[in-house]
Amino acid sequence: MSYAETTPIAINPRARRRRLLRKRFLRRPLAVLGLAVALAFILVAILAPWLAPYSPSETDFNATLAPPFTEGHILGTDELGRDMLSRLIWGSRASIQAGVLATGLAMLIAVPIGIVAGYYRGWIDPVIARATDVLLAFPFLILAVGLAAILGPSLTNATIAIGLGAVPGLIRVARGEALGLREEDYVRAAVANGASDVAILGRHVLPNMGSTLIVQATVLIPAAIIGEAVLSFLGLGVQPPTPSWGVMLSDAQSYVSQAPRLAIFPGLAIFFCSLSFNLLGDGLRDVLDPRTTR
Amino acid sequence: MGGFLLRKVGAALIVLLFASMLVFIGVRAIPGDPAIALGAENRDPAVLAAIRHKYGLDEPLPVQYVNWASLAVRGDLGRDQRELSVSRTIVQRLPITLELAGLAILVGSLIGIVAGVLAAVRRGKAEDYAATSVALVGLSVPHFWLGIVMIIYFAVKLNWLPAGGYVPFHVSPVQNLEHMLMPAIVLGTGLSAVLMRQMRSSMLSAMGADYVRTARAKGLPERSVIGKHALRNSLITVTTVIGLQLGALISGAVITEQIFVIPGFGRLTIDAVNQRDYTLLQGVVLVAAAGYVIVNLLVDVVYSLLNPRIRIAGANR
Repeated sequence: MSYAETTPIAINPRARRRRLLRKRFLRRPLAVLGLAVALAFILVAILAPWLAPYSPSETDFNATLAPPFTEGHILGTDELGRDMLSRLIWGSRASIQAGVLATGLAMLIAVPIGIVAGYYRGWIDPVIARATDVLLAFPFLILAVGLAAILGPSLTNATIAIGLGAVPGLIRVARGEALGLREEDYVRAAVANGASDVAILGRHVLPNMGSTLIVQATVLIPAAIIGEAVLSFLGLGVQPPTPSWGVMLSDAQSYVSQAPRLAIFPGLAIFFCSLSFNLLGDGLRDVLDPRTTR
Repeated sequence: MGGFLLRKVGAALIVLLFASMLVFIGVRAIPGDPAIALGAENRDPAVLAAIRHKYGLDEPLPVQYVNWASLAVRGDLGRDQRELSVSRTIVQRLPITLELAGLAILVGSLIGIVAGVLAAVRRGKAEDYAATSVALVGLSVPHFWLGIVMIIYFAVKLNWLPAGGYVPFHVSPVQNLEHMLMPAIVLGTGLSAVLMRQMRSSMLSAMGADYVRTARAKGLPERSVIGKHALRNSLITVTTVIGLQLGALISGAVITEQIFVIPGFGRLTIDAVNQRDYTLLQGVVLVAAAGYVIVNLLVDVVYSLLNPRIRIAGANR
């Protein structure tokens, strides 16, 4: 039985809290807009095969560098006559995949390590702290470039590199949270009741870190989306002809004077995708973490 | 202070030691036999054995590490594929990136601090919303794309600034700044967004602090309450944030130099990967990590000088 269930005032405090959070979230129009746009990007990525009017690699050498609103190509075509809209739609897959999976990977590695360091402390805490310092000594792109050299350039490896790059920072966040939670009354009560460590960590510590982790995820996802674009732009991520917004920007560089829109469209896609997650993240932070409410 | 400094330097040295091990192991984990690469794809066993012996590749890994690390400590990072000294190449390229980073910090601080102070002083007003919105946009814009857009408008369309390249300062200061202006703005805008948010929140908490209330109660004019008291104290935190942003600046420099064709440290990193020059890559990654650790150490020390509470808390731990 959890502490909350024994309090006489609230009948179903969890459902009440959820309702309250939902109400607070809905009162923030920018956060709601961020959520809607982010969901739209995710849907576009999932439904790409059905939404895209053409195959992203279908070339038409009779219609190269066609301007927007050319018949059949609402956003025009690129230097190989490939439909821009279709490539943008397919390109969202790489961004969303890298954003979500890299964040998931970072969470999967960092949260357990952070919890162990913060909850158990003792000798393990300074060891993990130093190991985190060592990883933090490698700037993200340098780490990603090094990993790409070791693992070879691909979307999967770029995702792994981005995820690993986020691990040290996230360990620190998880450790800080666990450190605070271990002093909470309900955790002490569970210890006094003889609950096992697994039960305490799984039932009390981890769920209470939920809001912090959700906020962290909404910060990490846009950073990972930009990270994927950067790595693909540098040739260390998605490999052509597979479409990715980063690859499209890299290809567009040779045509900046002839067809600047080839660079404008994928950049705007990255911007709006990342902005939507940032708006959502800011809104969630305000709702879930009252300490940072402005 | 002596004990604090010693502890911090000791911790930094340990981090550097492990970071160097990680770099060394990482480069050895790259698939492919370095002897074949060094021998220009010659697969004659006798030739390969001679190469392995010459470069110490036939020694056990710990011995190889000690040899490499002892040379690295003395500033010798080996020779790259073109038989050039890696240390010398890095020393040639690093000042270019430092100039870019310095200018970016200047741009970022100017925009970030002014916008942050304005947002905090005019909290809840139009200026606050404008500054926070611009910061949010600044955090969401992919900066390398901003670079491409600036090239399209300011170099290709308007012809105001060069699209890329580098002219050393001692050759022509004006041309140097012309070439560095767009890259510094691109790299600085990301920093300015982070600094603006930090400055705003530091100023808001400073403006609610007792010493600011006391300053107001003494009848000091608002300008000096904000300028002399709130701003000065907020700048301490912001200085630390600038130091902590160094990693982001190095990462940003890699891509910015790639877009603006600047032959700096960042471009050297990408060249090392593309040319599969692992001695060079090893050197570059080690120097980047060492630079980051040293700057963090300096930030810690400067912060403790500015804020003695940190020093005392550290000593009591």
